[in-house]
Amino acid sequence: MTWHSFISMSTLESRHLLFAYATVLVIQVGYISRVAWQWHRTKSPRP
Amino acid sequence: MEQRTPTLRNVAWLWFAISVAVLVVGFREAIFLVPTDAAQGDVGRIFYYHVPIAMWSLLFPYLNFAASLAYLYWRNRNPLKALTADAFALASAEVAVVYTSITLITGSIWGRAAWGIWWAWDARLTSLLLLWLLYVSYLMLRRFSSTGQTQTLAAVLSVFAAVDVPIVYMSIRWWRTQHPAPVFGGGPNSGMDPSMLPAFFWNLAGWGIWGIFILLFRFALERRRQLADQEAALQAIEASLEIPQ
Repeated sequence: MTWHSFISMSTLESRHLLFAYATVLVIQVGYISRVAWQWHRTKSPRP
Repeated sequence: MEQRTPTLRNVAWLWFAISVAVLVVGFREAIFLVPTDAAQGDVGRIFYYHVPIAMWSLLFPYLNFAASLAYLYWRNRNPLKALTADAFALASAEVAVVYTSITLITGSIWGRAAWGIWWAWDARLTSLLLLWLLYVSYLMLRRFSSTGQTQTLAAVLSVFAAVDVPIVYMSIRWWRTQHPAPVFGGGPNSGMDPSMLPAFFWNLAGWGIWGIFILLFRFALERRRQLADQEAALQAIEASLEIPQ
């Protein structure tokens, strides 16, 4: 498989592989971004 | 204490960098290097994300279970330890929901391509959906309950939720299901071709290291919140004492 066939949307197989990978990335990156954002919003109790 | 924070921060950044590097190797192995599956074609590569994440998704509920038991044990004996256990229970429940969500969605995407349907009410899929619902309920209870016993109620719910984990694991061994048979430990016909092993184990390692990273990061956030709340409560008490009666 190549980058070209990985990002290809031409067949059901390649579309579903790309959607599965995008799902993994969106959920994991979305979650850690939310935690990091809340970390910066929460004041550290230490002086 | 002042020297500990930069050291922990450096360890966290190193851990983050290692997990991303291992995941990049896993991605390269799974997408570009492993041979295309003869029966499924390229859609079979979803396996290298779905299965490792599904395996880790059964670990985090047990961490939540252990932390909840620790909370129930310490809540009257040592409230400070109980607070730490509660923060760990919350972090592990969130990561369990993250991993279970990905397992359900990637499995459904694979099922549509391989079986022609998005969903089947078989034992594995249904028990995993139940596990996801239990941990979503746990998080909603913690988010919206206004009683003073929220942490205790959540810990008790966690004990019941953990019962579903062995059922999910054993479902494809106890019942004949539409879900594929176990890859490991499923009898003489289980196992995988040696050409698939590097892609599988790189992703298993990568998502494990990543999962522990986000778990500890979320735990650190919850501890920071607890300490900030304690400090705010102390300041409020001090301010109330300064008001002339």
